[in-house]
Amino acid sequence: MKLFLLLLIAQQPTAPAVKVDSETISGLGARNIGSAAMSGRIAALAAVHEDARLTLYVGAASGGLWKSVNGGTTFKPVFDKQPVQSIGAVTIDPKNPKVIWVGTGESWMRNSVSIGDGIYRSDDGGENWTNMGLRESEHIVKILVDPTATNTVYACVPGKLWSDSDERGVYRTTDGGKTWSKVLKGGNLSTGCSMMSMDPSNSKTLYAGMWDFRRKGWTFRSGGDSATAPSASGLFKSVDGGATWTELTSTSASGLPAKPWGRVAVSVAPSKPEIVYAFIEAVPPLNALYRSDNGGKTWQILDRSQNMIWRPFYFANLIVDPRDPDRIYKPDGGLIVSTDGGKSFSGISGGAHGDFHDVWVDPSNPDHLITGDDGGLWFSYDAGNKWVKNENLPVSQFYHVSVDMDRPYNVYGGLQDNSSWVGPSEYPGGITNHQWENMYGGDGFWMFVDPTDPDYLYAEYQGGEIGRVNRKSHETRNIRPLPRYQEKKLRFNWNTPIHISPTQKGTIYLGAQVLFRSKDFGQTWERISPDLTTNDPQKQRQEQSGGVTVDNSAAEMHTTIYAIAESPKDPQVIWVGTDDGNLQVTRDGGKTWANVVANIPGLPKNAWVSSVEPGHFAPGTIYATFDVHTFGDMRPYAYRSTDFGKTWTALVAPDSPVRGYAHVIKEDLVDSNLLFLGTELGLWISVDGGKQWAHYKGGDLPAVAVRDLAIHPRDHDLVIGTHGRGIWIVDDITPLRALTPDILASSAAFLPGRPTIERLQTSGGWSNGDAMYVGPNPPGDAVITYYQRRRHIFGDMKLGVYDASGKLLGTMPTSKRRGLSRVTWSMRLAAPRVPPAASAAFGATVGPRVLPGTYTVKLTKDTATYTTQLVLVPDPRGTHTQEERQAALNLALKISGTLTDMTFAVERMNGMRQALDDRAGKLPANDGLTRRLRTASGVVDSLRKKIVATKEGGMITGEERLRENLTDLYGNIVFYDGGPTQTETERADAVARELADVTRDFDAWTSRELAGINTALRGKKLEPIVLITREQWEGKTAAGQ
Amino acid sequence: MRSTLLKITALAVCATPLSAQSVDSIIGKYIQASGGIAKIQALQTLRRTGKYTGGGGFEAVVIQENKRPTSVREEFSIQGMTGINAYDGRDGWKIEPWQGKRDPESLGEDEMHGILDDADFDGPLVNYQAKGNKVEFQGTEQIEGSDAYKLKVTRPNGDVSFYYLDTEYYVPIRIDTQRMIRGAPQEFETSLGDYKQVNGVYLPFSSESGAKGSSSTDRGKITYDKIEANVPLDNVRFSRPGAGGGARP
Repeated sequence: MKLFLLLLIAQQPTAPAVKVDSETISGLGARNIGSAAMSGRIAALAAVHEDARLTLYVGAASGGLWKSVNGGTTFKPVFDKQPVQSIGAVTIDPKNPKVIWVGTGESWMRNSVSIGDGIYRSDDGGENWTNMGLRESEHIVKILVDPTATNTVYACVPGKLWSDSDERGVYRTTDGGKTWSKVLKGGNLSTGCSMMSMDPSNSKTLYAGMWDFRRKGWTFRSGGDSATAPSASGLFKSVDGGATWTELTSTSASGLPAKPWGRVAVSVAPSKPEIVYAFIEAVPPLNALYRSDNGGKTWQILDRSQNMIWRPFYFANLIVDPRDPDRIYKPDGGLIVSTDGGKSFSGISGGAHGDFHDVWVDPSNPDHLITGDDGGLWFSYDAGNKWVKNENLPVSQFYHVSVDMDRPYNVYGGLQDNSSWVGPSEYPGGITNHQWENMYGGDGFWMFVDPTDPDYLYAEYQGGEIGRVNRKSHETRNIRPLPRYQEKKLRFNWNTPIHISPTQKGTIYLGAQVLFRSKDFGQTWERISPDLTTNDPQKQRQEQSGGVTVDNSAAEMHTTIYAIAESPKDPQVIWVGTDDGNLQVTRDGGKTWANVVANIPGLPKNAWVSSVEPGHFAPGTIYATFDVHTFGDMRPYAYRSTDFGKTWTALVAPDSPVRGYAHVIKEDLVDSNLLFLGTELGLWISVDGGKQWAHYKGGDLPAVAVRDLAIHPRDHDLVIGTHGRGIWIVDDITPLRALTPDILASSAAFLPGRPTIERLQTSGGWSNGDAMYVGPNPPGDAVITYYQRRRHIFGDMKLGVYDASGKLLGTMPTSKRRGLSRVTWSMRLAAPRVPPAASAAFGATVGPRVLPGTYTVKLTKDTATYTTQLVLVPDPRGTHTQEERQAALNLALKISGTLTDMTFAVERMNGMRQALDDRAGKLPANDGLTRRLRTASGVVDSLRKKIVATKEGGMITGEERLRENLTDLYGNIVFYDGGPTQTETERADAVARELADVTRDFDAWTSRELAGINTALRGKKLEPIVLITREQWEGKTAAGQ
Repeated sequence: MRSTLLKITALAVCATPLSAQSVDSIIGKYIQASGGIAKIQALQTLRRTGKYTGGGGFEAVVIQENKRPTSVREEFSIQGMTGINAYDGRDGWKIEPWQGKRDPESLGEDEMHGILDDADFDGPLVNYQAKGNKVEFQGTEQIEGSDAYKLKVTRPNGDVSFYYLDTEYYVPIRIDTQRMIRGAPQEFETSLGDYKQVNGVYLPFSSESGAKGSSSTDRGKITYDKIEANVPLDNVRFSRPGAGGGARP
């Protein structure tokens, strides 16, 4: 028998494999909860007046290109369909404002900078884009269009940050981007163009700064390896449109500093182009602003104030006022301006965030400035004296996310140069910038609520500066572990991992080169490992990092622990990954450690362990991602082991569609085959344990860096931490868990969801204007998810909801798309019938909510039907009992009944009025019967006017009759889930009685008058009047007449 | 219906390679798939009756009446009150009775753009040249999971619509519209479905519309229960009534 069963199972036809692609899963939408409160780094700006309005393009460092057609009141992202989101340059064609050039790959070369894939052109103001080449450049900092021949375009290409490459320097096209030629080449494979400027009066004259630079995981050089090492950086000039270039040096152009140089910025004064400014990162004290008054022949050293010379790799831009050749803006840590031709500078950062990168000066009004910094976009209308913050760009750059167990839950995360914030996953009226709260400082990374005390949280800033923060008072205690006697510096990564034990409340981990564990809120730290890194001294020379200008900010701190995770199945099993390529595991709580990285086939040496994810179902299962981009390899590496790291399976096959270096992998908490992989270029989902990956684009999530993910253990939401577009939430991923091959092969199928909460009916928020970002809430209605193998095009496709008795409660339109779809049901019965009156009764335009319980949903698709159960549960935040809900529903239904009676009553009266007026109209005006009929109509109308308000004209008449009384009462009942008040219950009865009084008066009048009127009508050979019966009326309304 | 579906399927099998596609061949196949130009032109009036579904349980009865060449009347009813938007080929007007005012008023600039689209009896693709519409083929795109031909339609007033036609069945599955209103762009998306034959012509019985990028819950959905062809529709239905012309309670 058993054998027979086995044979039977073996003979079951297996479902044909259906490809799971982006569109299969992206119908499960995501919502972007922001925030634009902190916003994020802006790398480049361009603007143009189109007629009287200002069109503005804002290039986010890692969050796409945003366009405003109203000077910055509102923005829309216009680059979201492109495969990269890092913007380095944006330029508007000076002759045609619809032609936009974008250089992808930001060039403010910090450790976390993203990558681009070439130069793009749009001919329709950003609606559509074409990649015009330079695909291997990775970074482009400036694009110049020749105003006299706009098919001639120059691209200033720094080139790859992490590896040698040939595609860097100055490129020129003369055919609108079809072909490019390199017209200025660097002296070696690490030298590219760092800035470029054109003489607007003679577009053949160009200046280009060339920059020799390289970043590694543990060091950076701007220039050579040290302040005095040779560098290929330099300043060049062409007077023939780039055909030939002359290097300007201290020899050929007196006044320039001696080599070696680091980064070079250059800018021609548009209003007096023989004046040229250059910032040159020369060896101190010659690192300064230089000015030439003769087109570069001779130069004069000018300002070298702090914000002129600080961090040239990150700040190397000069903007000269278009009208005033002596007014120069230098974006830096602070924004500075000179009004005396560069001799002196003043700080004008005001209340802006800081770390500026670009400035746009309105050529028609130089008081009007727009600038972008690490905290977003800012507007000034008084030449930079004061700044207005933009509140509408959710380009925030999160490193990590976590969630708590509040209802609704909160999202926590740290951001690049923007501290550590907490915001709600939903809020009445939407999640505005005001709902987000800053809890710490510096650059933010990992952030968690303390599981033992939700009034406290852990946050950090760069270099392991962990603090325990009181959520309410914001009091902060630094609890960073410190070196012991004569111990060298503890090596904490820029992005130091904090890990909260999933099994032991109150236990936290922190990684330096050793693993720390605390069980007392950081009061004491136990070292539970030896140095787990390679401890390679060659990678510990951060004090020499920077090249010409030393820059030791903790960003290059290396040979550190970068990833920590304790197994949720066994607290003795702890995984640690390091930035220098070690993957260590202990199975005895830290007593002994094994480095298992060598067991991973095909993994490049010293690959940065970007995340570790112990399995949720077996203690030996571990997932890990590796990031090799710091060696110039942008491919994703993700692996799984099920035997504590002895053997490994690659999860990203060479022919996989996954793109971008990998930051994070997460195994679902319920389905071990459901995996989420975040890379520099988006989010990828697998429903089959990593065999197939699909690019998730739900809610139009672009190809932005997905740095971290969190799955809410109670609500089953996927929270996506992006580095450039804030936080996104996929509400309820339960359907993904059910995407089995059988389901995928079926024509259509319902997919399960979490129990649907009948959310408390709340209100909140206020008028924010249009210049404020508001993150959407999850649907307040019940969400029903289904799958279709193909789009439904022909024939009906409808959803109906039924109660336990099989009664149809409502029908809903359906989404027709291929793959997963979501539709919503209001969880309300039909709205009551309401008699017509002067104004609509908006309180009664919806029906009462159904009670929590189980309902049946039926999908009809052509002739096929599919059913599923929908479970509605009360909002756990509420205190309303089932009895109270029932009482409210009963009263709402009772009022609905009264409103139906009222509608019938008014219908009868209107029918009578119409009949009387109709007959009167057929008689001579001076006929006695005419007058009688008109009088009768007036009597009936006076009765009607006791029921419904009738004053018209569009004013606030304040007129309230029974209809208005009752619909207002009804609204108060159905928009609150608890029981009605005593006075509400009594009022419903009172109005019903008052209606009965009027109805009785009408009936009495009818009995008294109608027979006589009909006799008189017959006498005039007119049709007698017959009142509609309730039965007839019900039949008429049921037929939809 | 079955036979037409088979014909459409046959058409799908014969689908021309992308490189050979042109505006006229795509529109020709769209017309053919819809039922053919003769049947399309045999429609003189259409009355669509159905339900509007908004978020949170709000529903309304909707009626759209179209009459050649360019008359349209759209009704939206709740609680026995009916709002009207209409256009008679010359004059666009509305009655918005919701707050006690029933006088017909002129449609605003925004609304006029919309009603002119709705007044185009066959839509902008059929006889597009005669209507002064410019149509460009912009390749194929994935729309809501399906491959679709993208046709850019520029109307004489400058409004632009992107028609996405299913590459197998050649019927529109989505329309994205950009209107310039007071110099600023307004963008909308409409998804179409539930195509059924009306007098031999396939028409969509369901649509979902909203601002570009809006979530499904923020979109208005219309499901027609019936679409009647060639019902008599008096011209007076489309013309602006006198003051206080709205239906009185």
